[in-house]
Amino acid sequence: MSRSAKIFSAIVILLWLVMALAPGLLAPGDPLAINPAQAFQKPGLAHFFGTDESGRDIYTRVIHGAGDSLAIGLAATALGMGLAIVLGTVAALSPRWLDEVILRVLEALYAIPSLLMALLIIAFTGPGVGPAIVAVGLSTAPGYARLVRSQIRSLKNSEMLEATTVLGHSSWLKVRNHLIPNALKPLMALVTLGIGQAVIWAAALSFLGLGTAPPAPEWGAMLSAGRVYLHLAWWMSLFPGLAIVAVAVSATVIGRALGGKVKSL
Amino acid sequence: MSEQTLITLKDLSVSFDGAPAVKNISLTVSAGRVLALVGESGSGKSVTARSLLGLSGGQVSASELTICGRDARNLTDSDWQKIRGNTISMILQDALMALDPLRPVGREIGDGLKEHSSLSKAQRVQRVHEVLASVNMPDPELRAKQRSTELSGGMRQRALIAQALAGNPQVVIADEATTALDSQLTALVLAQLRALKEQGRGVLMISHDLAQVAHLADEIAVMRHGEIVESGPTAQVLNHPEHEYTRQLLQAVPSGVPRFAPLSIISAPRPSAPERQTPTGPLALSATNLSKSFGKHVAVEQVSFDLPQGKTLGLVGESGSGKTTTARMVLGLQKPDSGTVNLLGERFAPLHEPQRKQLREHMGAIYQNPLGSFDPRYSVGQLLTDALSGGKSKRDQSYSQQVDQLLEQVQLSSKLRSRSPRELSGGQRQRLAIARALAPKPSVLVLDEPVSALDVSIQATVLDLLDQIQLETGTSYLFISHDLSVIEHMSDYVAVMHQGKIIEQGATASIFGSPQEDYTRKLLAAMPRL
Repeated sequence: MSRSAKIFSAIVILLWLVMALAPGLLAPGDPLAINPAQAFQKPGLAHFFGTDESGRDIYTRVIHGAGDSLAIGLAATALGMGLAIVLGTVAALSPRWLDEVILRVLEALYAIPSLLMALLIIAFTGPGVGPAIVAVGLSTAPGYARLVRSQIRSLKNSEMLEATTVLGHSSWLKVRNHLIPNALKPLMALVTLGIGQAVIWAAALSFLGLGTAPPAPEWGAMLSAGRVYLHLAWWMSLFPGLAIVAVAVSATVIGRALGGKVKSL
Repeated sequence: MSEQTLITLKDLSVSFDGAPAVKNISLTVSAGRVLALVGESGSGKSVTARSLLGLSGGQVSASELTICGRDARNLTDSDWQKIRGNTISMILQDALMALDPLRPVGREIGDGLKEHSSLSKAQRVQRVHEVLASVNMPDPELRAKQRSTELSGGMRQRALIAQALAGNPQVVIADEATTALDSQLTALVLAQLRALKEQGRGVLMISHDLAQVAHLADEIAVMRHGEIVESGPTAQVLNHPEHEYTRQLLQAVPSGVPRFAPLSIISAPRPSAPERQTPTGPLALSATNLSKSFGKHVAVEQVSFDLPQGKTLGLVGESGSGKTTTARMVLGLQKPDSGTVNLLGERFAPLHEPQRKQLREHMGAIYQNPLGSFDPRYSVGQLLTDALSGGKSKRDQSYSQQVDQLLEQVQLSSKLRSRSPRELSGGQRQRLAIARALAPKPSVLVLDEPVSALDVSIQATVLDLLDQIQLETGTSYLFISHDLSVIEHMSDYVAVMHQGKIIEQGATASIFGSPQEDYTRKLLAAMPRL
């Protein structure tokens, strides 16, 4: 991967963080301010990305939407990873029968497409930001759990672990200090990739009206809102869509770069 | 035999990105002669050998480099390709790594012929069989069709040598071809090299161990820091070494050196004549009728031994003889099918881990590859703090003083505390492993091939350290090795393992002086001595 691609991704991620943590810096306006007189303005100097049907500034909304997207992406990945660590570790260290049971459950979950499972979960909980996080988190957990399990299984028979056994360390300390951290290290690259994926799914759920509800500035929801006006205000969908693509691509590029680094260690 | 010069090398220098690795080396390899290049890792011996194949990868300069009458200083890559395998070839170190596990060895050997000769396919197959037969491979036709993983260790080494010989080269380079092999395989490779010499080929042998080359080499060149510090006929170099470093290397060879006599010149001064008390109290370690099978394979069968306090029991045998399985059962890492292990008179195995919690701290272990036994995320200081705190913390500053004491005990600088073990040298890593094992103040240390991956000169300092620790702390050692000379030097008692059984055990002097079993005699005969 070229150096420039990595630098570009780092810049995009940095921008994204600024957007999420201090959106006012880049877009001082109010993302919810309605100005019907200015509805459907084309992108221009007054409104970089144009305005929507209520005259809200798309640029301001895209910037302010980053926070939600980042939060959903991170929280969902954290939830998925957290669950995966517990399930994967328990499976790897359990007696064979319990390992088999957990594995079969994971495989069953794995068989359902993640997005479908997210929809299923939301069917129970009802739409909203919280349920979107839970839905995306739960649907990514089985994949991570299998990876954690195989990492821990190979580590648990390593000389490193035997050495700590001989030193008399308790099982819990071995799991906490050595097994989990070393199992997660090579997964960090995947997690970065996963964040990009989670952002896309969260946006997809909002697009379907199952995540963040309008008029909150969420990329997926904005994409959906613009769908109706696609023929006369293409910018309403294009810019939130570009934002999603930019985040997903940069997360992927950085994840790959991390992956290469982990391998070379 | 008239001595025909095959390789003349004058003033060879090789540098990598401006950093010199080899400086002004001159040597000659003659037909029917063996030249040994001896030195520790990093001394530039492998770089020198690779330069003779055009493989050094650095900037090479020499005032003369003649290979079989041909000036090889300005050869292109494709010129080198024609020479390699045909005129000059190399026996690699690790048979398991060097042979493709997915292809029959016959094809691996024949590959070179395809490149270098105009033989037809049938002729090539014929030649492969000939070469395999020439290295005494049993059933060459059958073996040629098998993959390297299907061959025994000895056959694999033979295949590797056959590969180097396929193109009938006049010069063969053996780069650490016996390192890490057990004594029988070493003897096999040495015998093959001797055969090459008798066939009139020139052999350049590279090793870190003077004892390995002593009987075969006609001449020895000792390398250090990229330079040849001493060279001459073997007898002269071994018997009348002129350079300080040569003497150091000679002293590092443990065979025949009495117990507790230092092997390294630079080792710390030790209490004069070591007075060792006769042990009192219970046996440090006692194993009774240990057995372990994996499926149908019997790994260990009815193994019993006693280790008195403050003494060393050497467990010796070839790879696959069951030494490591025995060690793992003793350490409580593998549950024996039957039999017991007692530590300080109390039952240690088989027991569940919580039941032997009180005894755990009395048992320590040191492995062949220390790096594999360290958590890669921990620094030197953190590893020791982790061990001292029983795994509760890697940063607790209250252990700081004890960490320094441990480092001092193994003669490591406390400046290394914040380093990663990856940045340490092999010898330093093993010292760190020893320091960590000593943290709980164990009564028994199980050392599984602790010096097998080290150069002889580094091995000497680590063995000296182990001696010193035993004298100071009275720790008992179960010392496992395939290297008889190390076992002889380190052990008070010796147990010889073969095919999962202890076939002979007793005091070191009696086992080495008057072995009763044929197998022990065979092992001893294969042992390289100065």
